[in-house]
Amino acid sequence: MTSHDTVSALVVVQLAAPAATLAAIGLPALLGRPLTERATTRIVGGGFAVAFAAAVSVLGLLGARGFAPVIVHTGTWFAVGHHEATVNLVADALSMPYVCFSTGLCWLVNSFAGKYLHREPGFTRFFILLALFGTGMNLMVLADSIDVLFAGWEFVGISSALLIGFFFERRNAIDAALRAYTTYRICDVGLLVAAVVIHRAVGSGDFGRLFGADWPAATCLVSPGTATVVSLLLVFAALGKTAQVPFSNWLPRAMEGPTPSSAIFYGALSIHAGAYVLLRCEALLDAAPVARAALVVIGLGSALHASLVGRVQTDLKSMLAYASMAQASLILVEIGLGWRVIPLVHVVGHAVLRSLQILRSPSALHDRHELEAAIGGHPDLGSWSPLSWLPARAQAAIYRIALERGFEEPAVMGVVGPIVRLLERLATAERAWVAWLGEKRPRHDERRA
Amino acid sequence: MESTARHEEIHRALEHAAHFLPAQGPIDVFIHHNTLHAFEAEAFEDAVVRAARLLGTEPFLTESRYRAELAAGRIQEADIDAVLAADSSCPADAVVAGGLVRLRDLYRALLLHPVREESDASVRWTLTESDVVEILRPDLPADARRRLLAAAADDERRAASDLWHACVEAVATIPSVVVRVGTPVRHRDLILAVDPTLDTDALVHPLLIRFCAAFLDQGVASWAMPGRDRGLWAAFAELYAGRLGPLQAWCERLPQALREASGMAADECVVRELDQLGIPDEHREAFITQSLLALRGWAGMIRQFEERPDRTPVAAVPARLVDFLAVRLVCDRIATEWAARRLGVRVGAPAEATLAGLWWELRDRYPSRCGPGSVCRALRLDQVAQLVGLSGGEIRSLDENELLRFEHAIAAFDGTVRRRLFHLAYERRHRIDVLDALCAHASVARPLAEAPDGVQWLFCIDERCESFRRHLEELGPGHETFGTAGFFAVPMYYRGLDDWHATPLCPIAIRPGHTVVELPSAEAVTRHERRRSLRRRYGQLAGSLSNGSRTLVRGGLFTPVIGALAAIPLVARVAFPRIAARIGSTAAGIAGRRIPTRLDLERSDAEPLVAGTQAGFAIHEMAAIVRRVLEDIGLTARFAPVVAVVGHGSTSLNNPHESAYDCGACGGGRGGPNARAFATMANDPRVRERLAAEGLVIPATTRFVGGMLDTCATTLAWYDVDTVPASHRDRVAALVAAGEQVAAADAHERCRRFETARLDLTPAAARAHVEARSVDLAQVRPELGHATNAVCIIGRRWRTRGLFLDRRAFLVSYDPATDADGSILARTLAAVGPVGAGINLEYYFSTVDRLGYGSGTKLPHNITGLVGVMDGHASDLRTGLPWQMVEIHEPVRLLVVVDAPADRVRAAVAQVPAVERLAVNRWIQLVAWDPNGGGLEVFADGGFQVYEGERRVLPTVERSSDWYRGHREHLPPACVQAALGRAEGGGGA
Repeated sequence: MTSHDTVSALVVVQLAAPAATLAAIGLPALLGRPLTERATTRIVGGGFAVAFAAAVSVLGLLGARGFAPVIVHTGTWFAVGHHEATVNLVADALSMPYVCFSTGLCWLVNSFAGKYLHREPGFTRFFILLALFGTGMNLMVLADSIDVLFAGWEFVGISSALLIGFFFERRNAIDAALRAYTTYRICDVGLLVAAVVIHRAVGSGDFGRLFGADWPAATCLVSPGTATVVSLLLVFAALGKTAQVPFSNWLPRAMEGPTPSSAIFYGALSIHAGAYVLLRCEALLDAAPVARAALVVIGLGSALHASLVGRVQTDLKSMLAYASMAQASLILVEIGLGWRVIPLVHVVGHAVLRSLQILRSPSALHDRHELEAAIGGHPDLGSWSPLSWLPARAQAAIYRIALERGFEEPAVMGVVGPIVRLLERLATAERAWVAWLGEKRPRHDERRA
Repeated sequence: MESTARHEEIHRALEHAAHFLPAQGPIDVFIHHNTLHAFEAEAFEDAVVRAARLLGTEPFLTESRYRAELAAGRIQEADIDAVLAADSSCPADAVVAGGLVRLRDLYRALLLHPVREESDASVRWTLTESDVVEILRPDLPADARRRLLAAAADDERRAASDLWHACVEAVATIPSVVVRVGTPVRHRDLILAVDPTLDTDALVHPLLIRFCAAFLDQGVASWAMPGRDRGLWAAFAELYAGRLGPLQAWCERLPQALREASGMAADECVVRELDQLGIPDEHREAFITQSLLALRGWAGMIRQFEERPDRTPVAAVPARLVDFLAVRLVCDRIATEWAARRLGVRVGAPAEATLAGLWWELRDRYPSRCGPGSVCRALRLDQVAQLVGLSGGEIRSLDENELLRFEHAIAAFDGTVRRRLFHLAYERRHRIDVLDALCAHASVARPLAEAPDGVQWLFCIDERCESFRRHLEELGPGHETFGTAGFFAVPMYYRGLDDWHATPLCPIAIRPGHTVVELPSAEAVTRHERRRSLRRRYGQLAGSLSNGSRTLVRGGLFTPVIGALAAIPLVARVAFPRIAARIGSTAAGIAGRRIPTRLDLERSDAEPLVAGTQAGFAIHEMAAIVRRVLEDIGLTARFAPVVAVVGHGSTSLNNPHESAYDCGACGGGRGGPNARAFATMANDPRVRERLAAEGLVIPATTRFVGGMLDTCATTLAWYDVDTVPASHRDRVAALVAAGEQVAAADAHERCRRFETARLDLTPAAARAHVEARSVDLAQVRPELGHATNAVCIIGRRWRTRGLFLDRRAFLVSYDPATDADGSILARTLAAVGPVGAGINLEYYFSTVDRLGYGSGTKLPHNITGLVGVMDGHASDLRTGLPWQMVEIHEPVRLLVVVDAPADRVRAAVAQVPAVERLAVNRWIQLVAWDPNGGGLEVFADGGFQVYEGERRVLPTVERSSDWYRGHREHLPPACVQAALGRAEGGGGA
């Protein structure tokens, strides 16, 4: 069917275009001859534009056919007996709108960053990471198997961490990048184990074996037990990228990178990656009320946490980070409640609004003056709070809790600390052991002497 | 008794330390000032070095940068020679190496030729992998090379290896130099030297930053800190005394410590903590200074809140530096105790004894920095000996004492000394470029014989107006320009029609005594009211939407519903900034057609808006203002039919430093209202009558028009054009047209500096380009501000008219002929000296150390509390100018040229202590320019010395664009024929 072939080709283009730009600007940089700024932004922008156009076309074609999904089989990684890992992409009512919106945002941020990073020493590096992110994002969104999704997910994670550490000469930036990366890695375990469980259960990573019918009306094809295990693992995986309690304190720290990357990652795309994965696998969640309940509880808790902590943040980017966290948590709650279209709409609306706010954040003074001029005074933000009926001591206590970000960090360190100390002790033991082994034989330089 | 004395001592130490903190106030009003104002009492060259040592910053540009300038010809050998000849460290007759080498030749060689700085680790690699000791340096001066070869029978390898062996032997006979570096006084630095993973500041600072930001917040957080009206120390002690949850390991004992200190005054607590930390009395001042400097941005902001509560943007909070110090020391002590435990020191009940013991022990263990090892020294000696032509035999002939002196002379001429001399040479070349141009231009500059039949323009002295004035003058002799401080001697609190409160528009040193309000014209009052209520409703809606989008419930409700609508402004703002801004302003224009307004300028009995001021100006005050400005600029006769008075400001988006681009003479505000007020005053017949009675006659045929120049978008706006009498309508229309034409030319000249603007833009395209910059969210360089400023010329404009000064010169109009007693000069210097020097020196320091004095790159900047910017989510407040503002700046001290006899300049300077201090201590370079002969005299060592110069020929071009077209770099002065003001020189007005 020609229409099917066209769609397949266009889906591959959505992935290939940003990947090609990655190669086009990455290889010259690798050879020590980075392209000019103008060429770099044009190439990356061109890649996103092509991908965007392809996604819009596919959306139109699919819409004309009532959003029947198109599966694109691009190859098989390996197959052993009944086991196979295929590289399948899917164009359906979930992935196409999502690609449109994510590549569209990447395209905009590309043209913003071209001016914003003018003459910055890391200019090329930024665009390489942006292209890597775009590629990873599209891979994740288009994935029709857990393996492909995991690959895209990892690209998103690594580019995010590297952009947080963009100003690597600053200690804070490196610490923040490392913290984000560590959090991601811990939660990635969930996705990885989920992949293993899925492979064991159905002999393939294909989503087609997990759920039947089309999104958003997909149904679960595996046993409720498997569905519950996989769902819980996916929820765990989503907690890190969506910055849910207790994995939330990397998010405000992540505002160390250049403003446009903060906007696209923590206002728009990366923070919603977990929500996307859960939306994609919603049929499993339907069959796993335990996982849904966990999602609702964690989401609500995180939303309250973010809302409380966000109220006392005094810098623009941290405040916006907590605002993002609150909305991302609500989106998880919506998914937990079994809704499908509302969270998708919420993701798009929130991403667009928040990235605009983060991009504008350096204009806060300008905007503030205009607002003051318009309303003829200071906007009255500080006088009222929902807690003002509490006694003063209680208010102070709650304020302190909010200012300390809910004591999340020391609480987490209380768990992590002993593990780190154990590892340190093991490392010491290993050094001693190696030294003891080394003494057995004459050392290289001693022999020479 | 004793305790009061100790408290006083603490306060004294605190006052002393506070001087070194950054003096930048809340960022919404950015006032340029000398970053090292506290050091102005010392000579510049010494002060920058001392400050660098205290603050851990750089005093000059890097040596590699100066060497690049040397290679590019920006610094010349003649400059190096002149600088060395004038330097007291190397008198002409000083010799080293047993009289074989003149000290000055040694220094010269070391400046002109880089000597490898090797470490003990790298030197072995260098020796084995390169042929540095096997052949002679390729860059040797010819005679040095000849002498070395002559000593070795023309065998280069032999000469080189003989010298190398001689150097190795020589070094073995003289002891190594041990460099003693100052031992730190803070536990943190001492501990860090022992265990680099134990940085107590990294533990304490996040807490301090979070707390200080919340305390000073001016309305970012929707929930203000409870109890902050009781002061920082009390609020902290109360908020952190309880344990409400798990604490980080280091601050487990903080609540306990705060409970022990409860009820104590901050200074008591400081004394107690210093005792506990075990700091000996003689080190306390240094300890306090270093403790404050460790988080200097926040400490400095707290100091600003304490000293200038009137300048807080929204809510004055009772911030005191001593409170901050108390909080800091408690946290430091707790963290030090924790670190001590980690180091294996048991901290017992009297922590005092333990921490004091720790302090002394760590001080003893602090490593003194050793000099380089013997191989490094030999290599250095070898390289230097080659440069000055000393052969191996000659080195061997030196006795121990001579060798020791020789090596000491080399070591003493270290990087800082070399950079200082390089810097002097760098400034000398610029000075010669400018002063020679002034001399050469004198042969073509002529005063305008009579009043122009077109327009006299009065601008701010700002160097960004230089190009605008030059392009105006290129229109022909019908245009004459003047410069004066851009508040036009109208110091006022001003409230515009759309402002909600009055802001001061005058230099920061003046507190205005008058308030002026802009009112809608009588016929537009109802329209204005309607528009205002519309605007208020719109503002409330916009405010609650943007605020609501950040909350949980409201945000959750409406982001899914209307969030996607944000795509419209997002796409428009990012992809089509100029069109989006146009649509926005058109929409605003439709919503309420421009309201005609007038200034409520005249004194009335109405309650003034700002307490302690008077509403408006009385006629005699207006007359004094007009008179003062006209006298200052020397315009007391020969008036043109139209006098345009143009203030300036700058509009840009996404720019926390927006105010730094505005008018410095208006205290970081926009000077348009001042220009408008001045023009209104000068047009008032009662004012003119009064002035005429005093002998200053402004003819009835002369009309003043106020305007404002937006230096970012290069747009000109004019005030009160509708009230111009019929007799002047055509002339004012011509004035507006000339302004538009020149704005395009000016934008064209500005665009050559922007790398993203093509060099072949047309003037119209250039205007569109700068307009787009001013409204682009993504643009971090909306304009380049005061970057490249270097010169200030106080004098009659005709002497510099037609001279291309590349937007680098503050131009102040002053007529020495009307100022025999120097009083006008003194008040002019008082007004422009500190402002110009403040701008120039802030740019200097932010350029030479972009991270230490400047605020680094803008990209990760994060507005905090509406008072300043941090890097990322939690850093010290970043003060100074961001890298993007100073990128193309050439850091040279302001070259102030005064068109007056040297003795009058000296006398005038002596009357203004602030300027005298700057001149005597060389923070500015002062030059007197003989008003009659044209000779120049440079101020040095308390007196003026005749300037000789190089008498170079000034290049001549027809128009400015002929000189700058196709160039992005700094351009030397040139003579622009068209601007000379000769009847045949231009196209006429």
